[in-house]
Amino acid sequence: MIVFAFANQKGGVGKTTTAVTLADGLARFKHKTLLVDLDPQGHLALSFGLQKSPGLYRWVCLGEPVDAVRMEIRPNLDLLPGDKQTEKVKRQITLSDFRETILSDLIHETDYDVVLLDLAPSLDVLHLNGLIAADWVVIPTRPDALAVDGVKEILTTMAEISRTGHRYRGYSILPTFFDRTTRETYLQFQDLARTFGERIWPPIPQDTRVRETAAYGKTLWEYAPHSTSIEGYSDGHQRLGGYRQVLGRMLEVINGRT
Amino acid sequence: MAERNFERKSILDPAVADLLSGMEQRQVESQLPRKERERISRERAKIQARREQRATYDLPPSIRESIRILAEDLRLPASQLVTLALARFITDYSNGLIDLGKFKQPSRSPRYDWNLIFPDSMFPKRKKG
Repeated sequence: MIVFAFANQKGGVGKTTTAVTLADGLARFKHKTLLVDLDPQGHLALSFGLQKSPGLYRWVCLGEPVDAVRMEIRPNLDLLPGDKQTEKVKRQITLSDFRETILSDLIHETDYDVVLLDLAPSLDVLHLNGLIAADWVVIPTRPDALAVDGVKEILTTMAEISRTGHRYRGYSILPTFFDRTTRETYLQFQDLARTFGERIWPPIPQDTRVRETAAYGKTLWEYAPHSTSIEGYSDGHQRLGGYRQVLGRMLEVINGRT
Repeated sequence: MAERNFERKSILDPAVADLLSGMEQRQVESQLPRKERERISRERAKIQARREQRATYDLPPSIRESIRILAEDLRLPASQLVTLALARFITDYSNGLIDLGKFKQPSRSPRYDWNLIFPDSMFPKRKKG
């Protein structure tokens, strides 16, 4: 099993869309995948056209088995949904012993090949649980100064967690809402590439189809499989960026080639 | 002793590196005078428009050479001669005038069922020197 966390303390950077798209992509590659909503906004369920429900609360606080609370949403893809009751999960974890590893312990009792955690844009006990449960952290970021600052914050938190003995297999920074024609995007991208080198994954182009997708309750692979956000920019005979390429990088991580 | 230059190189994901260099080029272009920018933009549009017309095939060198010589003799673009030759082939094949059967040999490649094996006599002899 490998656990990916999608995290950035800055909101609106594309964490949920990225988690949904890559989870469905992995499921299409026959990886038995669980997507966990750690955000009280409960937007993962809405992204699949479903109602929010307290799946995480029932799993962590009421001790119900994962089979009772998961939703089978696509072949090979299950969702552990969340809603405002997720706030109660935070309180329960705060009052527990060994509170940092509660989520990690629960996840490792399941038999999924891949688990994807969609973290809330906050720094609380559930966020820390998500980062501690993760083997690999994906940090989506808009190419703007505030979101890039969120990257630094996550990396600082990860460094603190590493000092307690937790070992990450790695992390990647995923530029989202990418518009290659603007100077600001270029400058931020150049800065990210200089600072983080190979840890930068190919960016996701800005694409209005992404917003439409959520409104229809479909994933991008279903609604707009040939969109720029999936296929990336066309550059002669090759494609640059897009979720298809990022999925390839993720499969390399899963198969141990990174 | 010659001074060694130990320059630390940052490794980038190949797609990130390609995208970054393309954006870098555009940034440089944006600093150029308007006329120069327009010229580059026209050239880029021309290259992009021709992409649809481009194809890569493996051809025997003697055929390539014959096309080149013929194009030079007739003072014509080689691509137009090849277009004419292929258009004629497709028409003849559609009219049943060309039988591929006599050239067909089973292929061991997983991608193809057959290969076409041509006799040497079919190709023009290459001039020596």
